[in-house]
Amino acid sequence: MTVLVGRKIKKTYGKKSTAQEVLKGIDIEVNKGEFVGIMGPSGSGKTTLLNVLCSIDHPTEGVVEINGKNLRNMKEKQLANFRREQLGFVFQDYNLLDTLTVKENILLPLSISKLPRAVAESRLKELVKLLGITDILNKYPNEISGGQKQRTSAARALISSPTLVFADEPTGALDSKSATSLLTNLENINKQKSVTIMMVTHDSVAASFCSRVLFLKDGAIYTELYRGDKTRQQFFQQILNTQSILGGDGYDA
Amino acid sequence: MTLSRLVLRSMRKNVKHYYLYFFALIFSVTLCYSFTTLHHNPTVVEALKESGTAAAGFQSATFVLYFIITFFVLYANHLFMKRRSKEIGLYQLIGMTKGLIVRLIALENIILFIFAVALGMVIGFFSSRLFAMILIKLLKLDLVIELVFSPKAFTQSVIIFSILLLVILFQMTWMVYRVTLLSLFHASKKADERIKRFNFFQMTFGLLGLLLIVYGYYESSILFDAEKSLFKDIFLHMLVILASTILGTFLFFRYSVSFIMNIFRASKKGHLKIRDVMAVTQIMHRMKGNAKSLTLITVLTGLAVGIMSLSYISYYSSETRARQFSPYDYTLVNDKGISFLDRLHQEGIEFKKDTYRVAEVTFNFQDLVGDITNENLTFSTESSMYVISLSDYKQVVPDAQINEGETIITSYQNMFSEVVPLEEGGDFSVQYHNEEAKFVLKEVQEKFMLSGTITMASPVLVVTDTAFENISANQTSESSFNYQVGVNLVNSEDIPKAEEIYTDIQEERKLVVNGQEYLPLSYEEEKQGYLSIYGTTIFITAFLGLAFLLTTGSILYFKQMSEAEMEKESYTTLRKIGFSTSDLMRGIYAKQAFNFGVPLVIGLLHSYFAVKSGWFLFGTEMFTPLVVTMVLYVVMYAIFAVISTQYYKRIIKASL
Ligand SMILES: Nc1ncnc2c1ncn2[C@@H]1O[C@H](COP(=O)(O)OP(=O)(O)O)[C@@H](O)[C@H]1O
Ligand SMILES: [Mg+2]
Repeated sequence: MTVLVGRKIKKTYGKKSTAQEVLKGIDIEVNKGEFVGIMGPSGSGKTTLLNVLCSIDHPTEGVVEINGKNLRNMKEKQLANFRREQLGFVFQDYNLLDTLTVKENILLPLSISKLPRAVAESRLKELVKLLGITDILNKYPNEISGGQKQRTSAARALISSPTLVFADEPTGALDSKSATSLLTNLENINKQKSVTIMMVTHDSVAASFCSRVLFLKDGAIYTELYRGDKTRQQFFQQILNTQSILGGDGYDA
Repeated sequence: MTLSRLVLRSMRKNVKHYYLYFFALIFSVTLCYSFTTLHHNPTVVEALKESGTAAAGFQSATFVLYFIITFFVLYANHLFMKRRSKEIGLYQLIGMTKGLIVRLIALENIILFIFAVALGMVIGFFSSRLFAMILIKLLKLDLVIELVFSPKAFTQSVIIFSILLLVILFQMTWMVYRVTLLSLFHASKKADERIKRFNFFQMTFGLLGLLLIVYGYYESSILFDAEKSLFKDIFLHMLVILASTILGTFLFFRYSVSFIMNIFRASKKGHLKIRDVMAVTQIMHRMKGNAKSLTLITVLTGLAVGIMSLSYISYYSSETRARQFSPYDYTLVNDKGISFLDRLHQEGIEFKKDTYRVAEVTFNFQDLVGDITNENLTFSTESSMYVISLSDYKQVVPDAQINEGETIITSYQNMFSEVVPLEEGGDFSVQYHNEEAKFVLKEVQEKFMLSGTITMASPVLVVTDTAFENISANQTSESSFNYQVGVNLVNSEDIPKAEEIYTDIQEERKLVVNGQEYLPLSYEEEKQGYLSIYGTTIFITAFLGLAFLLTTGSILYFKQMSEAEMEKESYTTLRKIGFSTSDLMRGIYAKQAFNFGVPLVIGLLHSYFAVKSGWFLFGTEMFTPLVVTMVLYVVMYAIFAVISTQYYKRIIKASL
């Protein structure tokens, strides 16, 4: 089943004279339960693509449909509700609210839903156990490590049981140990709860956790790789090879 | 890049941050300058010449105004410097010396300041005419105000603002030199307050704050009730009230609010609503840093509204007071100037007249009020009072009735009745010419009939005609007041003509009693006298009130502006994960209601209790003037809350 469809997506920044076409007509389809990685040199438009796909930004041209709904036809309020109820977000710089405890941060997306407290509580218990952050629930973001912050952020993304999770370089600010632990968590969640995940990364190791990796170059999809039955190590090798063909420039991983 | 280009560029980038500071500065200068100009306007000087206190009032108000504005500008400058700490840090990082940065910002400040002062003075010059017209209107005079440039006002203002500029530059230099590079980047991150499950310390102080406020209110309600209060000295008493409410207010903001919010938040066990996220947690987060300024705003609000209410009460009561002092349109005492009546006849002016025979007695208040323990109310309890007969009294109260040995005390006005309430039914004795008579006090009335020239604002005793004959029998007509003719016009159109006649025969009306010369005033003259005193007072206090309002409103707005900017990232996050602008705005409304509403409500409560404790010393009516003042204040104050909310809305809209 297709969860996300993007057709002929174009995105142009700036006025006519200084216009810069960042996305040059991208077609994409994501099926339920997939763990899709988007790779590409920095400045290739990964974040822009992700923002357009997740309704945070509008495409200049083209169509985005999530679960069969065309985003273009929705108003600000509808889009916001849609994001809160159907989508989850993990950002590179965590984007936790400093004034809230870890628990309050995680429960944030439910703060205008009518979900009974007991249900929310049990979801929370399950998630924090899965992500290993049970002990820090009453701490504030500035009292925990980067890895813990990102896992908190992941828990917040998952608390509303979204059908689709978007992650923009979730491991970008983490050391390799924390990164691996977070990615393992995401992989587990993807497999166990069949949550569809779309992750932007420029780290080949991170990309090797995915079931499919798209390569972006100059605002267009250059190629895509499927993991299939390959081991992570093999898939990682394959990603590295593709990257070197693409031209290693701009990869800082 | 040259220094000037850098300045220009950074200024252009800063206009957005600056524009309110800039407007506030312009507005302050406008207020100050128009006040000084007004003060030197020849027409106004002429109108106020008679009243010596008015000039002194203007003088001291000018100083208060300067003080408020200095304070305000320093505060605003401090706030803006703090906001620019990142920028300053950046300049230092790229290798500029502190000296250069100071010169840069000084240049920027000087340009901005001169611009604001010039603009403010121009506006102030023109608006001074408007203010002068308001003043003349308040004084109920019929004068035309001309715009006059006053070199004296100009130099005075220029000197004051130059000094202010120097102070600002000094403050700025001090701030730049004091801070280290590191602390610059953290300036906006200080003063966090985090959630605690239960904090005994916080609870104790929170409770103490509330108790202190309530105690202050209680003490204020018994300010003149010496028996109930511990404090016999009225100034000490006032000081205690002031200290306890101000300290209470601070503790309230610093501890009570956090305590209540902590309990609320803890009870949610992590399941916050979006409004809590936007309002409660943010308010808690900043309470430590905001407590002082919220206290300041509360106190200033209370002070401004209190003072304005009291002077409005005075102004509002001008006519009533004039009526109390001159119950009749025209009064003639001891037959002096009785030709007034003939002249009225000649002019064909219709009038009604009442006549009173008057006698003087001394009596002891003590008999009627019991113990007067308040040391500050040491008016001699042995006081003199004027007596009229029941039949004369019936001219104004036709159905009055007393038996032999009974009396009515009338003209017992507000101020006395609040401070020294008399007990009806009590008995007391009066002395006259070595004789003494005992009376029972039947009732106490507020009706006025004798001129204040006679009574000097003390109450009037009504006795039966026989008793009156006894009392008046021995009194010689030359040594005292013994007769009053009260004249009321039938048609008010005749007032100007009658006034003319009344003034005409001024010499005839003069009388000498006990070696002292008296000249009774007409009601109109009396009223004009009160109006000119209280009109000036209310004008001055309203002017100061406006300055207070500007200060409190702007301080709150500045604070909210920087909070909005600090929270911008959170708004971005919240909107990304699926909260709409209107979801977030709901929280903002709550937050604004707290930040603007709570200091306002407490400030108004403070002023209510302050006014209630002593309003009767100022006038005869409390409710209407108090409510009018409060409503006007709230409406103008609300403007700041609205623009602050708009600011949040803009920030939130732009955050995604
Ligand atoms: N808001 C914006 N306005 C103008 N240009 C932008 C904006 N956001 C991104 N860009 C430009 O679009 C290009 C792609 O950016 P981005 O999607 O962030 O790349 P990536 O995430 O792959 O590093 C970059 O050249 C960037 O400068
Ligand atoms: Mg990016």
